This record gives sequence, structure tokens and C-alpha cells, in this order.
Amino acid sequence: MSTQLLTGNDAIALGLVEQGCRVATAYPGTPSSEILAGIIKYKKALDKDLYAEWSVNEKVAFEVALAAAWTGLRAAVAMKQVGLNVASDPLFSAAYTGVKGGFIVIPADDPGPHSSQTEQDSRLLALTAKVPVFDPSTPAEAREMIADAFALSERFKIPVILRPTTRLCHAVSPSADAPASSSDGKPVSPKFQKDPAHWTATPKLRYKLHTELNQKLIEIAAEFANSKYNYIVNEDHGGEVGIIASGVAFHTARQALLELGVRVPMLKIGTPYPLPVNLIEAFSARFTTVIVLEEPDTCIELQIPNRQRVRGRLDGSVPNSGELTPEVMFSVLSKSLSGVGIQVNPSPEDADLSAAIKKLSLPARRPRLCPGCSHRSAFYAMKQNFGPRAIYPGDIGCYTLGTNLRAVDTFVDMGASITMANGFFQANRLVGDDRAVIATIGDSTFLHSGIPPLINAVHTGARFVLLILDNHTTAMTGFQPTPANDYLADGSEAPRKVSIPDLVRACGVEYVKVTDPYEQEDFTAILNEAQAHTQAADGGVAVIIADRPCVLYDNDPILEHPIPVVVTDECDGCRFCTEAFECPALVLRADGSHVDIDYKLCIDCGQCIDACYKGFIVPKLAEMVP
Amino acid sequence: MTTVPQNSFCEEHKIVITGIGGQGIVFLTRLLSQTAVNLGYPVVVSETHGMSQRGGSVISHLKIGGNEAPLIQRGSADVLIALDANEAMQNLDFVRRGGTVFVSSNEELHPDLLPHLERLNIRTLHFPASAIAVELGSPETANIVMAGFVCAYDGLNLPLEDLQATIKQIAGKRAEGNLKALAAGFQAGKKKIEDSQPLPENSR
Ligand code: SF4
Ligand code: SF4
Repeated sequence: MSTQLLTGNDAIALGLVEQGCRVATAYPGTPSSEILAGIIKYKKALDKDLYAEWSVNEKVAFEVALAAAWTGLRAAVAMKQVGLNVASDPLFSAAYTGVKGGFIVIPADDPGPHSSQTEQDSRLLALTAKVPVFDPSTPAEAREMIADAFALSERFKIPVILRPTTRLCHAVSPSADAPASSSDGKPVSPKFQKDPAHWTATPKLRYKLHTELNQKLIEIAAEFANSKYNYIVNEDHGGEVGIIASGVAFHTARQALLELGVRVPMLKIGTPYPLPVNLIEAFSARFTTVIVLEEPDTCIELQIPNRQRVRGRLDGSVPNSGELTPEVMFSVLSKSLSGVGIQVNPSPEDADLSAAIKKLSLPARRPRLCPGCSHRSAFYAMKQNFGPRAIYPGDIGCYTLGTNLRAVDTFVDMGASITMANGFFQANRLVGDDRAVIATIGDSTFLHSGIPPLINAVHTGARFVLLILDNHTTAMTGFQPTPANDYLADGSEAPRKVSIPDLVRACGVEYVKVTDPYEQEDFTAILNEAQAHTQAADGGVAVIIADRPCVLYDNDPILEHPIPVVVTDECDGCRFCTEAFECPALVLRADGSHVDIDYKLCIDCGQCIDACYKGFIVPKLAEMVP
Repeated sequence: MTTVPQNSFCEEHKIVITGIGGQGIVFLTRLLSQTAVNLGYPVVVSETHGMSQRGGSVISHLKIGGNEAPLIQRGSADVLIALDANEAMQNLDFVRRGGTVFVSSNEELHPDLLPHLERLNIRTLHFPASAIAVELGSPETANIVMAGFVCAYDGLNLPLEDLQATIKQIAGKRAEGNLKALAAGFQAGKKKIEDSQPLPENSR
């Protein structure tokens, strides 16, 4: 039997299933998205009785799992770091009320950030909410921590956060095949016991709960002082400098020390909150300088009471934003160590070669909408119709890539395209600016947090066009189902599917049209009609549902009716199509004389025919299947 | 469990794999890392997610043996495998002195880079992996053709038979096509070695 390779996300999923998690919920978001899929995989493999759902948003996911924990079952909720903001309301409250069954909250942070609006450190939210944190440094350690997190949660009746980061979620390393000693969670026959004084506590009682919470944290900090996740390496190497590190940064720092050719004692912290301060003080007392290395912000460093000898992100010894990549780590340590007279190896990177590469100014390959993506067709029609003067508030998803096509002017957070459109309309009205406002949002994002903003806009009389780009799935994060799909997280059939057009109508919108963005002529006509509705005396918000499945997820419609295209010899390489339409399969020749179709990428959608206004992109009629 | 081969990794072996989303970088990385694990080596891989299907730059770091940091520091990779010439050049400075670069491309790297590569004793090998994959009738297997080519040069210290076994283990329905692609890449690599001057000693 071979050893299995597990991603960090899979290791977390396996840990949850083998430790008897009974209810698991999540909303997809990179880097956390594969955790719930992993849970379903291991539930089947280990034959466990477990309920897992993709919830409509993170607050909902949190509360569904919390209720299960209140009945006494083991439960967990996963999301990306910005998702924890959406769920922060119940997080704060749950810290006070506590739980009965073990409850693990898993927000995945994104130092870098690689695919997020902010670098937000979830540990700081945990610190504010007063929830203990485990900070794993490898996939295997994350899996191991789950058992301890559940146990701690049950013993202290408190939610516990397990906080991985991108490089851990997406790291792959070997993992033992055999499930860790499995527990099915206690108590054996869980039942929700009514106790209004506790679960519905009034403000006065909440004060009492807060006092209790503070006491729990003191006891947990004392326990953390003996945690196996906190340990010292290179103990025997004395000197003036010590390092405190947590998470992936711990291993990156060890690698950097190898490259530097120096051995420095390091204290590894796996439980950053509540920080076992005594441990830190005892370690630090041996040195004149202590460097704290953590991501993405400061949590350990912030809690150290005596910061005189501490160097880190707060005093600028470590950059106060960005990922601690091996290069950053090397330069931080190189500077600090040579600063106190320790001899270190030079960087292995060849500066001249790096400079030579930079000088070439090679084209950066930015991510783009896929060949044949219907979002591109919708954006193109929108842009051709309303021009550069209109305001295009956008949202979070694949279609954020519409910035490339200059059809997305803003994105703030999930659902903000609608609220921003509302705000732009009101602000423009005050100053007599009559620009058209066209907002875009995906199906999953609309259901996540677009509905209350739409209700708000309708009720306050805002006037703008809203395009719901319905590609039938949550494409960006790996095709998770939404409530508008007819299947559930585990692939089984959904009891009911929710209709987006009905929801929109129920929000009070009078103009609702469902249309296919591939039919560019009709689509443009409807765009105009919608805009006219926003201007009409009795008009208001106009909603168009651009209905066409994501081509990565379902390209059957194209396979059934392919429209292969060719570029005629007349093409003069004007680049209009490559820039305004930007299908990756449209490639300008190296000498700039002509555009060609890259048939390795082209999916025969025929959408670019409308993107050459001179008519030089034409269907290859001979190969068309009607 | 297969016994650890003679040419085992005495210490760390660091491989950077790069290309464009859609070229199968993630699968190529899986193939190599699973093979190393099957041979009993400790492995740490860092993958790019999210944008990997959307035409953006994709890079994987694969460390066989050694410590648990997920990323490889610039200037310290033993091998760079690139499925795209542009991405090869962008990431050339990951390669250490005396390391090797394998590029799927017909063209030389930019002339401005050559003196640096010579100075650092970095060897660059070109190979038209996509063309071979197209010839085989499955353009999407260029990544596996490349694996065969690299394997012929022993650039990974992973034996061909073990790569074949891993393909059977992880490729499912695509196993047959992938095995063909691997063989084609391997043969082309061997032929290129025969046709060329004796190779400078690979410093590992
Ligand atoms: S994944 Fe789907 S929705 Fe996203 S860009 Fe590609 S085709 Fe479009
Ligand atoms: S037909 Fe045109 S738009 Fe569609 S994938 Fe091919 S090149 Fe792109």
C-alpha cells in the first residue's frame, strides 16, 4: 500500500472526519474551498454518518454548525479569511455562550494575498472575539491539531479556531493512511437542552458570560504552556539572537537558516492565542534580540508584554505586509543576524541574472476569462453599448476578471456591486450626473449577499441596471453548487431549487429578463430596454439574468452546436479583438500583422465573430453542425 | 514498498515546474511527487490554485527530501521544468549554480540571458514537447511528454518504470494516452542525448 499524498485542505478534512465531526458547513473561497469536498470524500471512504453542506454564505454556515454544537455534536465550519468577517457576528456571540459539542471554526488566511481583497489575519479577529487559536505549520500537524481542538472545545465549552494559510492549504505532503484513533464525539446521545438563561442570555447575563470567558482564557493559556505544538529547536546553539515563529513561517525560517549557514534557537508556537506568555518570557530572557516571524499580521508579537528586545513586523525589522517568502525570510534574517555580528552566507540568488530577466520586461501572464466564457460576451456587449462613460460596479468571482475588459470599475466584497450601484446612483443624482450605472454579480454571489442590497435599492428608488451573470455554479472556486442548482454538496439531488428570477421579482423588481449572452444581438437589445426602464417615469432597478453555463463546468451546448471560426487574410492586426474581446485563443502574430486562432485553446463558441467590427472573423461554414 | 534506488537523494532535491494555466502543471507535479513518495522519499509540494485554469502563470515547487518549508528559495532549485518559454525566462533565477533547465520550446532563450547561464554553469535543454504531443494526437499530454524527456536525462533521479507505475496509479482513464506520451518523450530525450556532444557533468 502506498503512502497517500494529501493537500493541507484534505488533511484538515480527514482530521475532522476521523475525529467524529458530525456536521460540517462551508462557503467556498480560495484557499479553503477543498476542505468541504474532502470531508464528503472521507465521509464516504470511512463510512461515517455526517451532514455536510455548502451554505449560502459564511454567516449561515457558521450558525448551522453552531446549532449542531449546541446540541452536543462535534461540528465545524470552513471559509476563507474574508468570509470570517461575514460570520463575525455569530463568532463573537458564540464565544460568550460557548458550546456543548466540540466546535471548530476554520478560516483560511491568504498572506500575499494571492486571491483575496485583503491580507487580514484571522487570529486578530479571534483575539478580539476571545476565541482560542491553533496555528498549524504543516498539513500533518493540522490533522493532528483537530483532535486537540475538539477536546479543548468540549472541555472548556468554547469555540476553537484552526487557522491555516494558503501555503498550508495548498501544500501537498505524505500522510499516514490509517485514520488517527477515531472518536465519535461526546456526548453519546446529544440533544439540545433548553436553557434560555444561557442560550438567549440577556445583556446582564452576557456580562456574566464575558467574565466566565475571560476565566476560561486564563486556564487555556496555562494549558497551552504545555502544548506539544509549542517547542524549541536548535536549543543547544547559544548566542544573542532567538527566533519565535509560527505556522508555515516556522519552516520557511528553518530553511532560510540552512541557507544562511547559521543555527539559531527557535521557539515554535502552535497556539498563538491565548499566548502562553510565560513560555515566551522564559525563552526570550536568554537573548538580547528576539525576532518574531508570523503571517500575515502580528498576533504573537502583539501579545508579548515586554517588547524591548522583540523585533518583528511592528518595528519594521520584518516587512509589515506581504507573504514571508523564502526570499523575504532570508533577507530579514540575514540583516538581523549580521546586524549583531553573526557571519552569514550570501543569498543564493544571482542578482545579475535576476536583473537581466527584469530588463527583458517579459509579458506578465495575467489571468483571463476562459475561451468561450459567457461573461466575456456579456461584458463585451455591455461595454459596446454603454461605452467608457458608464460606471460598472463589479463583484467577487470569475467575472472580477472583467476589469481586463474595462467592464468592472469597482469591487469591494461579496454583494457590493449592488450596494455600490445604489450609492453611485444616489451620489450622481445629487450632483446632476446622468451616467448610466450597470452592475454585475454572479449567481452564487447574488445568493450569498446580493438580496438585501437589491431590496434596499428597490425600496429607496435607485435606478440602475443589474446583470446577474448566471453561469449555473460557483466557478471560481471549483464548481460548488448554489441553492439555484438541483444538486447538493455530495452530488445528491436537492429537494428543491431556488429560482433566481422569482427571487428578484420578490425583491420588488419590475423589470426582470432572462437572456443568453451568447445571443449578442438580442442581448444588446435587452440591455437598451433595461436602461430605458431605469430612465422611465415609473421605472426603477432593471435586472437582466445572463443565463449561460460556465464552459468549464458544462460545455454541452457548444459541443452540440459548435461554431468553428477562421480569421480571414484581410485581418490587419489592428488588435481590436484581442484587446476589447480578449479571448485567450485570439493570438496576435509576433510581427503584429495578423490575428490567428489558437485551435488548442479555441472551443468553437463563435462568440468572437461579433468582436471583429470589420467582419474578418468568420464562421468556418463547412464544419458547422446546425 | 519499492526499495530506495542507488541514486537516492543524499539531501534535498528541489524542482520548480512552471507554465500557463491549462497546461497540466498540477498533474505533472502530482506525477513526480507521487513517484517520489512511492519510492519512500519525504516530499513537500506547493501548488498554485484558483487561477490555474484561467491562463495565468502557474508555478509548483516540489521538494524531495529536506525540510518542510513549502516554497523553494530563488537561486536554490536543482531543476526548472517549463512548459512555456516565457515562463521559463520569468523563473530562471530559481535555478542554482550548476542546475538544469528543461524548456518545452523550439527556440533558444533570450540571448541576453545566455552569458549569465554560462557564468552560472546552468545547462538549458530545449524540447518541442507540444509538437510531439500533437503528433501523438493528444495535444493535452505535452506535460507528460516533457516528464519523459526530463526522465531520459535523469534530471529528477526518478526511474522511468516508477513514473509508469505512478501513471497507472493516478491517471485513471487517461493512463494509456499518458504512458504513450511518457514513452515518446523518453525516447526523444534518449535520442537527443545520443545525437549531442557528450554532456557536461551534471553537477549533482
Ligand atoms: S471558469 Fe467558467 S465562469 Fe470562470 S472564467 Fe472560466 S468559463 Fe468563465
Ligand atoms: S470561437 Fe472565438 S471566442 Fe470562441 S473560443 Fe474560439 S477564438 Fe475564442
